[in-house]
Amino acid sequence: MSNLKNVTGPLSANNPVIVQILGICSALAVTVKMKPALVMGLSVIVVTAFANLVMSCLRKGIPSRIRIIVQLVVIASLVILVDQFLKAYVYDVSKQLSVYVGLIITNCIIMGRVEAFALGHKPWDSFLDGVGNGLGYAAILLIVAFFRELFGSGTLFGMQIVPESWYIANGGFYSNIGLMLFPPMALILVGCIIWIHRSFNKDLQEK
Amino acid sequence: MAKKFNVDSNVYIILYSVVMVVVVAALLAVVSLSLQGRQNDNALNEKKQQIVTALGEDPLTTDYDSIVAEAVMLDASGNPTEGDVFAALQDLKGSIAAGKFPVFKAKNGCVVIPVYGAGLWDAIWGYVALEPDMNTVKGIVLDHKGETPGLGAEIATPAHQAKYVGKTVFEGDDFVSITLKKGGANPADANYAHEVDAITGGTKTSDGVTEMIRSGLGNYLPYLKANKSNN
Repeated sequence: MSNLKNVTGPLSANNPVIVQILGICSALAVTVKMKPALVMGLSVIVVTAFANLVMSCLRKGIPSRIRIIVQLVVIASLVILVDQFLKAYVYDVSKQLSVYVGLIITNCIIMGRVEAFALGHKPWDSFLDGVGNGLGYAAILLIVAFFRELFGSGTLFGMQIVPESWYIANGGFYSNIGLMLFPPMALILVGCIIWIHRSFNKDLQEK
Repeated sequence: MAKKFNVDSNVYIILYSVVMVVVVAALLAVVSLSLQGRQNDNALNEKKQQIVTALGEDPLTTDYDSIVAEAVMLDASGNPTEGDVFAALQDLKGSIAAGKFPVFKAKNGCVVIPVYGAGLWDAIWGYVALEPDMNTVKGIVLDHKGETPGLGAEIATPAHQAKYVGKTVFEGDDFVSITLKKGGANPADANYAHEVDAITGGTKTSDGVTEMIRSGLGNYLPYLKANKSNN
């Protein structure tokens, strides 16, 4: 049962994006639309989970002086594997993500968790920790993408939500908020999420 | 092992790195080779679907072979020549540089011309379908590798691509191509028949599309003009 904490902790109290402030860079890039955000989230879950698992299995044999290089090789290989499988089995989605799959390598969450958790814990715990952190990351991505796509494009997962007749072009009163499509808006939204999250979690507030 | 093994010795580090690299390289090579066939099929299939889409049909219900009569390779003066058309699509830039221009002839007389260019961030490409008069756009498919989602990437949406249908690329006998106009194409404008709305917030990508269509179709001018006069 205590294993479960590894998964649930990163969802809220120890969320990688809004509490540990890791992986912000990709949160800006892939949150304009829901679908890429979802697939990015899933890919990161797979990579963090297996990077943690592999590194935890290897942790006793890794020479500490080349530790970071080994981590990079493992993470990069996993990312390439994910990319190859996406290309072979879900070609549409892999096209949607294009360069972002490669950018998973640079996602600080993955190396952060390998370094901070997997190198000091057993494989199963590390695997769950990876899944949990991936989920926490995916959750924030989806929340940010929800607001950006709804207000920036009037759609969700590509489906029109705001009625066409509302738009000024069709004689209505509404127009999409262009600012939502630009990266700074993701930062502002993440800031708002952190604000709301901390007002509910008093112990996270700095004095 | 009586003595504790030293994981920080130089020999161990070198051996560890060598083994790691060999294992990882072998793994990636095996996966890459075993998935290669599937990936190529996907890529080829996607190209065929885009050609069908450019011709204004739904690729889910219309088969490529049922609508395209033949795929032909043209030389610089528009005459048929030897060459593997689908292999040329994999490397369109190289093929065109080598003076080989692939074209797809539909059973209803339309032709589909593959084009490539550069967007803001990365490559863009597309398929332009022309009516049998070699002048009116029957349909267009545009795609991109890494344009900004919500901005430049909008070129890949059906809503944007629908705006090209019915536009013409010739003014009399002069090739004028199609321009993506910043601020929107205006029906009062003299060039309205050759203009479509540019993407708001995607000016660089829009310019890239304009240039791609102009230079892409420009390569086929001898062929287009020869067949245009027949109609």
